[in-house]
Amino acid sequence: VSAGAAGGGALVIGLGNPVRGDDRAGLEVARRVRERAPDAVRAIEVEREPSGLIDAWEGARLAIVVDAAAAASRPGAVHRLDASSRPLPPGLRPASTHALGLAETIELARALGRLPERLLVYAIEGERFEAGAAISPAVEAAIDGVVERVLADVGA
Amino acid sequence: MPDDGGRTIRVEALARVEGEGSMYVRLRGSEVLDARFEIFEPPRLFEALLRGRALSEAPDITARICGICPVAYQMSACRAIEDALGVAPAGPVEELRRLIYCGEWLESHALHVYMLHAPDFLGFESAFTMAAEHGEIVERGLRTKKVGNELIDLVGGRAVHPINVRVGGFYRAIARRDLERLRDPLERAREDALETVRFAASLSFPELEPDYEYVALRADDGRYPIERGRIASSGGIDVDASEFDDIFEERQVAHSNALHSLIRGRGSYLAGPMARFNLNRERLSPLALEAAREAGIGSGCDNPFQSIVVRSIEILYALDEALRLIDAYEPPDPPAAELEPVAAVGHGVTEAPRGLLYHRYELTADGRIASARIVPPTSQNQLAIEEDLRDFVAANAELGDDELTLRCEQAIRNYDPCISCATHFLRLEVERE
Repeated sequence: VSAGAAGGGALVIGLGNPVRGDDRAGLEVARRVRERAPDAVRAIEVEREPSGLIDAWEGARLAIVVDAAAAASRPGAVHRLDASSRPLPPGLRPASTHALGLAETIELARALGRLPERLLVYAIEGERFEAGAAISPAVEAAIDGVVERVLADVGA
Repeated sequence: MPDDGGRTIRVEALARVEGEGSMYVRLRGSEVLDARFEIFEPPRLFEALLRGRALSEAPDITARICGICPVAYQMSACRAIEDALGVAPAGPVEELRRLIYCGEWLESHALHVYMLHAPDFLGFESAFTMAAEHGEIVERGLRTKKVGNELIDLVGGRAVHPINVRVGGFYRAIARRDLERLRDPLERAREDALETVRFAASLSFPELEPDYEYVALRADDGRYPIERGRIASSGGIDVDASEFDDIFEERQVAHSNALHSLIRGRGSYLAGPMARFNLNRERLSPLALEAAREAGIGSGCDNPFQSIVVRSIEILYALDEALRLIDAYEPPDPPAAELEPVAAVGHGVTEAPRGLLYHRYELTADGRIASARIVPPTSQNQLAIEEDLRDFVAANAELGDDELTLRCEQAIRNYDPCISCATHFLRLEVERE
């Protein structure tokens, strides 16, 4: 995660772990967004813990983070949240194993005045996160829809 | 709250610990009936995932065990497989490994010192509530982390997850002029690190001095242990990685999916920054050693609550060492050793930020992994964590529920437990009869 990766434009960040089933969802979205619109948007995949995002989105007009979440309603359900002005809802806690979770990282950035101009979070509810699991059909089916919505958000 | 022998305290989620697990303490008066640190998901799934894969895949697969210390997993995996293949990477490869490993220590320790542990000492419930009042402290932590990240990014190929590391060495040797770009940020970070040591030393520490047997690597090159060394202890252990099973055993316990490690015939031990420091502190750089003296731990550190000071000393050392390695850098040529598959068993151990990380691989003649075993530092420290909890709660049973719970959480965070190396989520329960 390099500083100022956004370069004043839009930045799409996929978070996750590629070998833990549905935790791969965010990474897949970022990869497909990059393939679809390589010139219009910068998209990065982040497997490391997320506190480095505070540097990554520095200077971004719009940052969109895509992460898997623990199942709250049904696997494959997608939530689009605007984190620019308020914290992520406590009920929707991303199922990451990271020490400083995405929600905490966002609040840390807010406290330090280091949020991007606009910050959107897509949370994709998953059902299996164990090591070695494949991505579930419900989550796989949701990914392309999220890619479309992200591309629409960035105007690509 | 009166201690009437009938209290129950439960905290469902313990924040600021990497991964998931739970802690359970049961008390009658000041008598601790039970203290458990439970871990739900062992790395056994990863060991299963490795079976049948090409040996070249081990660094990439094991890097996915932890979002904080992927380099450590890669390094122990490489070492173990090279040991099996009878390959000794050339000096410049070893130096470059040490350099990228310094980056991981910086990132991991800065995250822990500033974002995870400091809030305990300063009375905040999280890094972001602390940031509202102490923005400059948090920013210092983020700057330190960023330098570590840049180092891993540059040597490792990309920050996401270092893809440049391979069995035998690196896919590509980094150019000297690229490393030179890191010199200024590293030097600035060193100034921050001196400030970090002063900050950590100024905190107040609850009392606790268990009689640990410290276990850490000790390198025959005379350097502070990071990427190699023999396994040594304050109780006289001095063995090669291949003798790991002669000295340590892993025991299944009912309340945890992770195996408990202990020294055969002796019991628990402590791995991690305090063990490294106590067994190797004379090998620190002069600047780091002087900082340790000024911080009051020049002659050793036995209070686990002071591990935050030791981590800050190791941050300073990692910066000093990274600068030294950049000064002396020679690009490895070739960047990796040639590998010839053989059917063999190999062992590797390196110093992850949290302590000893042991890997063992059994390889087939066609270059596949027949079996893998991974013993992460947190499961090695699991018994010591439980013993600390027991001792601390027994000595502090007069504290109210909230304060006691908070201190127990802090005591667990002394270990910077990376439970996802062995599992996922942490819940905390204290129960009083």
